[in-house]
Amino acid sequence: MDISLMIFISMAMFAVGVIGVLTKRNALIFFLSIELMLNAANLLFVTFAYHWGNMTGLVWVFFVLVVAAAEAAVGLALIINLFRSKQVVDVDQYNELRE
Amino acid sequence: MAMTVPWAQWFLGFLLVFSSIGVLLARKPVHASLSFLLTLMSLAGLYLQLDAQFIAVMQVLVYAGAILVIFMFVIILFQDAYHKIDLLESQSSRPLLIFSVVSFLFTLGLLGNALRYLTPSQRTVPKDFGMVESLGKALYVDFFFPFEAVILLFLVALIGALYIAKRGD
Repeated sequence: MDISLMIFISMAMFAVGVIGVLTKRNALIFFLSIELMLNAANLLFVTFAYHWGNMTGLVWVFFVLVVAAAEAAVGLALIINLFRSKQVVDVDQYNELRE
Repeated sequence: MAMTVPWAQWFLGFLLVFSSIGVLLARKPVHASLSFLLTLMSLAGLYLQLDAQFIAVMQVLVYAGAILVIFMFVIILFQDAYHKIDLLESQSSRPLLIFSVVSFLFTLGLLGNALRYLTPSQRTVPKDFGMVESLGKALYVDFFFPFEAVILLFLVALIGALYIAKRGD
C-alpha cells in the first residue's frame, strides 16, 4: 500500500491544528486543536510502523495516548480555574503577565 | 489481519480532514467537539486499515470514551461563555491565519519533494502485527522502564489536576 496518502492526511490534520492554535480565541477550541495535532502525530507513527512492519511505533502511540489523557486532565483543570477567575474563556483576556 | 480497502482510505481520509476543519469552523464548542468525535472515529477506521487493531480500540476508548466526555462536562460548566467571545472583536488572527496557510503550502511542497526518495518497503509484516499479544509483549518487555515512567507521569498529572481544579482558598 502506498503510504504517501496517509502522510498527506496526517500533515493536513496537523496544519489544521496549528491554524486552530494560532487563530482561535476560545480556550476549549484551542485545546481541541492541540488534540488534533497529537492525533496527527499518532497517525504518522502508525503509518510508519505499518510501513516497516515494526511494533515500536505502536508502543509510542500508546505513550502519546497516555500523555494526551494527562494533558486533558491538567489542561481542563487549568481552563476551569481561569474561567473561575474572570468568567470568560477568551484566551486574549488573560494578558496580565504581558503587561 | 484487517483487509486493506483502497477506497476506504480515501473516504476516511477525506472524512478526517473535513471533520477536523469542521472543529475550527463550528461556532459552538459543542458542535466542535462532536466534529472532533467524527475525526476520532475516522482516525480509528484508518488505524484498522493500517493493521493496528488494538490502537484503534484504544483510540475509541481513551479519546471518545474518556477525554471527550470530560470535555463535554467542561462545556456544560461554561454553557454560554462563547457568546462573550463573539461580542469582542478579534485582535490578531488574520495575519496569523495567512502566515499559517502560507507555511502549510510551503511544507506541502517540501514534503512532496521528500516523498520521492521514500524507500519502497520490502517488509514482511509479522502475522500478529498490531494484536494485543505482540503489543503487550513489546510494551512490558522492551519498553518496561518507559511504561513505568509513564505511570508516574500519569499519577503526577492526576494529583496536579486535582490540586489546580480545587478552589484556591
